[in-house]
Formats: sequence, structure tokens, C-alpha cells
Amino acid sequence: MRSPDAVVVYRAPLRPLLAKELRDIVSGRALWTMLLILCPLVGYGFFQAVALYGEASSAARDAPVLAAGLSPLDGVLVPTFGALYLVVTLLFPFVAIRSLGREKETGALRLLVQLPYRVPTLIAAKMTAIFGAWLAALVPAVSALVIWAALGGHLYILETANLAFGHLLYGLLVGAIALFAASISESSATAAIIALAFTIGSWVLDFALAGQPGVLEWVARLSLTQTLRTFEQGLLSIGLLLGIVAAICGFAALSAVWLHPGVPLRTKFVRSIACVAAAAIVLASATRIRTSVDLTEDRRNSFPAADQRALAELREPLLITVHLAAEDPRYVDLRRNVLTKLERVVPRLTIRLATTGQSVVGSSSDEAYGEIDYSYAGRADKSRSTSPREILPLLYALAGRPVPPPAAGEEYPGYPLVAEARPALLWFLGALPLLIVLAWRWLRRAPQIAQPIKDGDQP
Amino acid sequence: MIASVTSILDRPAGHAAVLMQVVGLAKRYGERRALADVSFALNAGEVLGLIGPNGAGKTTLLEAIAGLLPVDDGRILWRGASPALPHRRELMFYLPDGLRPWEDEYVARLLEFFAAAYGRPARITTEAIGALGLAPVLRQRIGALSKGYGRRLMLALALIAPQPLLLMDEPFDGFDLRQTREVMGVVREVARNGRTLVLAIHQLIDAERVCDRFVLLADGRIRGIGTLADLRAQTGMPAGGLEDVFLALT
Repeated sequence: MRSPDAVVVYRAPLRPLLAKELRDIVSGRALWTMLLILCPLVGYGFFQAVALYGEASSAARDAPVLAAGLSPLDGVLVPTFGALYLVVTLLFPFVAIRSLGREKETGALRLLVQLPYRVPTLIAAKMTAIFGAWLAALVPAVSALVIWAALGGHLYILETANLAFGHLLYGLLVGAIALFAASISESSATAAIIALAFTIGSWVLDFALAGQPGVLEWVARLSLTQTLRTFEQGLLSIGLLLGIVAAICGFAALSAVWLHPGVPLRTKFVRSIACVAAAAIVLASATRIRTSVDLTEDRRNSFPAADQRALAELREPLLITVHLAAEDPRYVDLRRNVLTKLERVVPRLTIRLATTGQSVVGSSSDEAYGEIDYSYAGRADKSRSTSPREILPLLYALAGRPVPPPAAGEEYPGYPLVAEARPALLWFLGALPLLIVLAWRWLRRAPQIAQPIKDGDQP
Repeated sequence: MIASVTSILDRPAGHAAVLMQVVGLAKRYGERRALADVSFALNAGEVLGLIGPNGAGKTTLLEAIAGLLPVDDGRILWRGASPALPHRRELMFYLPDGLRPWEDEYVARLLEFFAAAYGRPARITTEAIGALGLAPVLRQRIGALSKGYGRRLMLALALIAPQPLLLMDEPFDGFDLRQTREVMGVVREVARNGRTLVLAIHQLIDAERVCDRFVLLADGRIRGIGTLADLRAQTGMPAGGLEDVFLALT
């Protein structure tokens, strides 16, 4: 029962809290230093990408077949955003940690938790401020896109937005991890070590375990950098989206659990286990969701529309058994060209990798090595091809369906462009950093004081 | 939006006698005992001094009462009921010692933030600024404040916070003699307006001037509770000051 003395604040206003959190993150040097480092990195990445894209475009100028392979997503957008990825991985944790680390170090946290806000509200406000910091970090990359468009470059809005969305999710994930690190650490330095262990540890997972079979493959999938790959390929995967959101919410919830200094350690551990269990359940469910949307203009993740429609009508279970090692380049080809596309469109598809463990390609004693078995509706066939041009007719034959005729006008034209991006370096190395410094000074200006408050006791 | 906030300055005095009880609080840091079976009662509208040397357990006790430190044993009763941890912040506000929070923030903005969070009218903020003489430093960053102004700012936050009970750790540290007297006046005024205060003080002369009752603490244990007259009677020192009484009891 509530005491009659209690100061009942049913809903404290969020706006002052959000404003305070934003000021807190903006007033530190970490954000601005990160932005100043980001400018030349994005600028140089963009300049190099445009130069290389221009070279490729020169060769493709008179060859439509070559031109069709020129997509700004791969050629310019992904390399330009790559600098953002690098900075978010290595520097953004320091910015995010500041939103809580300084409060823990100075003791301000003990005041903060006494304010009439619930702990999850405090964490949500800090995540909002981290989102604001990420938006600021997006400015150089967005300015690169504007310059690209001004140079006459092509931008397909859906794939561009999808890529930016992927980076947003990655940034929020790194921010949530950093916040969690700050909530369990007494100092910002310790929090930074923990957060970087996550982000740089992901790189190690990527390099060391990529292409490994079995459990190692599953462990490699936990790498944070994997979250971006799908978006860079132009796919919006619902399962991946749900998984990343679950991870962000999980780390944010863990931050909330560990924030309040008055909660006993044992209670924090019990609540943490509950959080991890809930996040794990959602993550496990997310891995079962295969729905994804191909947002690329060249539809690289999909078969031609006629094939998509025909394959979607295969209602019986389709079993594909691959006699290839996971690290075999033929398997990599098969996955990229056929299997991942089939996974997106065939309703009841099972893919089995018959060969487990490492094998020395070409010297396998298994005579079936290299074969791919297809089984559908009681009929079976096999092939060694990794090309959809051979595999799709095989599948249609198994299903007793005619090969659909290709639709006209589906060909991706490609967007070759030879442009000189050197002047853009002036923007990234001079004007933009100057604007950032001016913005920093402007945001740090002293506030205007209302006269009655200024006068103190003379209202 | 704030639905209901009770103003510190409008609160009428004269509530029921016992506002809060501390019952058997115990806290250990590893092998070291910080608090052992600490029990006392707090009356509404009084200024209670937690007296003890450095390391006596004053800060630990205040943090435990405020719910900012988990305890090994014991409980807090508010008018006989045990408030859950999240509800304690509705009843009391704890001002830690030596705090210099949000150093990059401007003084005015921090005051505005606290007032806005609690839905306090501008009048309360203005009164706090006036009472503590903060007007000259409103446009200064908190990190740039002198020690004295830093303490005043923290006190201003406590005045803006509307809870009926204020717990303050060493509220007079960092002030010179004149400033200490001024701040004592503010503290007494707050108590006169109906709020209850618990002040952890290691300067016995200051404590004697401002507190109505005392809890003497040493090595995490309570060595005496009562008014100065009670403590004098307890020690058989009818003319003794708080210093003499404290030395006799600890």
C-alpha cells in the first residue's frame, strides 16, 4: 500500500529526460572525435569506390552485358558505408558508453535512479540518445550519397534504404552492447574493453570460423558483422530483423537489470538469466523464419519472376542433398546462385549437406562427391552443376511442369558512370569537418536564462 | 505529465510522530562489517544527525535507507509499512557526499531538468536558486564550479526534489564558516516547512547547531540515540557538549 506521504509521479515527462540524455552524449568529445575521424574515412572510401566504379564503367560503356554487372549498391554504396561500419565497430562503443559510464564514475547514477523514471525508461532514453549519435554518424555517408547523385550516379531508393537500415540495426546493436558493458562495469575503461571484446571478437569469429562446418559454422553466425552481410546483399530478412531486434532488446534489458545499484547481485543474476533465456527463445524462433524480401533493383537474390512464380507453386517437399564440403568453392557457388534463392521461394525445402568435416577437394574417396541429389514427389535426379540454368529445368522436370518462358523487359540495365570524385575530397577533408567543429561549438554554448530564474530570490 | 506532486514548501507540519523506522540493518563488505543491527526511529519534521567518525558507516547507512545499496539484513518501515525498493524514491531523496554529476552540463539546465522531471513549478526552482545564491553561476558548467558552489547546487537539487524525507551526506562539507551558517539556516527552514531531514555529519559542532536529535554511530554500530539532553543524561555529563558525549559513548 502506498504511503500518503509518497510523492506520486504517475508519469514523469519524457522530454526533459530525452533532452538531458542527448545533451549528455553531445557534450562529450567522444562523439565529435568520432565524426571528425569518420569524415576522411568515408570520403576516401567514396573517392576510391567512384574511381574503381569509373574504371569498370569505362570498359562497360559500349558493352551492355558488362554494363548489366555494374550496380551502384556493390560498387559505391557498400564501400562508402564500409567506413561507417569500421567506425561504428571500433569507436561508436566509446560514444555509447559515455551515456552511462560517466554517470557511474561521477556518482550521478545515484541521483538518476532516484528521479521519477522507471529504470527501463532510463535505458530507453539512453538508447534514444545513442540512436541520435548514430544519426549524426550517418551524416558523412549521406553526404556521399548526395554527391554521388549530383555526379549523375544512380540510386535505387529501396536498396539504399535497406543498406542504411542494416547499418542502423548494427549501430543500435553495438550501442546496446556498449550500454550493457557500461552497466556492469565500474569504469568506462573496463566497459570499453568489454564492448570491444564483442565487436572485435566478431571479426575473429568471422576470419577464423567462416566456412567451417557444423557447430563452428553456427558459432560464426553469432558474429555481429553477419548482421550486415544480408543487408549489403540487398535482402531484408524478417528472421534476421527479428533476431537483431531481439539481441538489441536483450542487451538493453540486461542493461536495465544491472543499472540500479540497490538491487542485490543475486537478483540481478536471476533476472539476467530470464532475459538471456527470453532473447534466446526469440533468436531461436527467428532462425526458423525464412521470409525475406529482395530489395535490389537487379533482383540478384531471386530467380527471374516467371521462375519465382513457378517455384512457389511446388507444394510437395523438395529434398536437396549436397555431396560437397562446406568450404568447397563449388558449394559456395551453389549456395549463392541456387540454394539461397530456392530457400526464399520454395515452400517446403530441405537442404542436407551429406559431407561433414573438412575434405581435401579433388582427392575425396567418395565417388559421389560433387553430386547434388534432388528429390521431389517420389522422383529423383542428380547433377553436378551449380548453375540455375541447368538446375531449374531439372526441378521442373521432377515436378512435371513446363519450363516457364522468360518475361521480356526484366533485364537489369546496369548503371555505368565515369565520374571524377576528387573535388568531393574537399568536402570530406575540409568543409564537413569544419561544419562539425562549428556545430560542436554551437551546441556547447551557454543557455539563455529566464529573468525570474536569473534573479533567484526576486521572482 | 505530473498528476500530483506535493510541494516541499507547502507541506503542513504536524504529521504523526514516527515517520520511518530502521530495523536491524546489517551490511558486510566481505569480511568487514559496515553496519550491524542498526535500528532507530525517525520523527516527522525533525532534523536527525547521523554522527560518527570517518568509516563509522554513515554513508553506508544512508545509501541502504535510500535503497541504493543492497543490505544483508534488516528493513525500512515507513509509517509501519515496508515500502518496496522502487517506491522508496517517492518517499525520500538521498544527496550523496562529494558529488559532481554531469560535469559538462550547465547549472541552469540541470536545475531545469530536475524541476521538469518532478513537475515542479518555476517558483520552487527560483526559491532554491535564491536561497543558495546560485544566480551568478547559472550559465557555468558544473565541472567549472568551485567546491562551495558545487555543494550549493547539490543542495538546490535536494530542495527542488519534492519527497518528504531528505537524506544528506555531509551537507556542510566544502563551505566556510559563514556559508555553513547560511546553509544551516536553509536546512532549518526546510525542516520548519514540514520536511524531515537526516544529515550525516562528522563535524560535531555543526551537528550540534542544526540537529534536533542524534544517532551516534561507530564501527557500524549505534552507540547512542536521542537529543543532546538525552545523551547527556545517558553519559552523566550534564554540561557536556556533543563532542564530550560522543567520546564518552564510543
